[in-house]
Amino acid sequence: MYTQHFALCDRAKNASLIFYYAGYFSQNIINAIGDAVRLRIEKSDPRGPVRRKLFSTFIEMAQNIVHYSAEALTPEQQQDREMRAGSVCISQHGEEYFIMCSNPVTLEQSEALRHQLETIRAMSLDEIKQEYRRQLRDDVPEQSKGAGLGFLTIAKDSRTPIDFIFEKVDDNTVVFSLSATI
Amino acid sequence: MEKIHLPATSNTPEVDFDFQARRLMLRGESYPESAAAFYGDILESTREFLAGLVEQDVIVEVQLTYFNSSSTKMLFGLFEMLNQAAQAGNRVHLHWYYDSEDETILEFGLELREDFPDIEFLPRELEV
Repeated sequence: MYTQHFALCDRAKNASLIFYYAGYFSQNIINAIGDAVRLRIEKSDPRGPVRRKLFSTFIEMAQNIVHYSAEALTPEQQQDREMRAGSVCISQHGEEYFIMCSNPVTLEQSEALRHQLETIRAMSLDEIKQEYRRQLRDDVPEQSKGAGLGFLTIAKDSRTPIDFIFEKVDDNTVVFSLSATI
Repeated sequence: MEKIHLPATSNTPEVDFDFQARRLMLRGESYPESAAAFYGDILESTREFLAGLVEQDVIVEVQLTYFNSSSTKMLFGLFEMLNQAAQAGNRVHLHWYYDSEDETILEFGLELREDFPDIEFLPRELEV
């Protein structure tokens, strides 16, 4: 299911892989991987803001998988200690880092995601910051387990507009991938 | 009111809300699986505490080095409450610690100051 994702990660031959994990994500796994990612970048990059942005993007992406991936190990109605499938890949290209996450979603989810992400993608950094401020003050949408702020947080930190693809698996399942550049 | 003291974990901050001393402190990192679940009771107790305050000083110390998007939302709710308490005649002093190398935390603090002008905002640079 993640072959295309891995191919994308592998795309730039000069890139060095910082981290790649595919499998089930839970908060405990995020804590552990988060530590590893942080240590790995602390060694390779002296730039504090870059490290902070990379860690933040990783957390937002990984927590999205835990909350929204269509492939869950835990029952659908369970609201905590969730465990869901996906992958996160971080690679380094010179001064830049490319970070990408993938997880299966339902066709219905994919339509909503596409709309949300296309809107963000069309925004300038100033507009992203404004929208972030607006959503921070807004009431949380009912279906959201977070604040709906996650994508905007990722977009704020990305040097280039966030990118996404949807790959059809079957009639009701699509693999959703989202990437950012730090 | 009973104080709230929670030690830090890998993804939640140390919480020390001493309501009797009117001193509220958060320190560490915040990215729990569910920020609403983690902050729910804390915010509820704080709301109750603030409702009973008349012309008092409240010291708030925030030393957070990282918080995820859903924690940001909950923190915003906390400051909204504190601002209302200040509007009601209390004096809220917010010690906002930030790392000079990282603009994000200070930026968020400055936004809070803009939105909640009744809180006395005291930026403090973190000693590394």
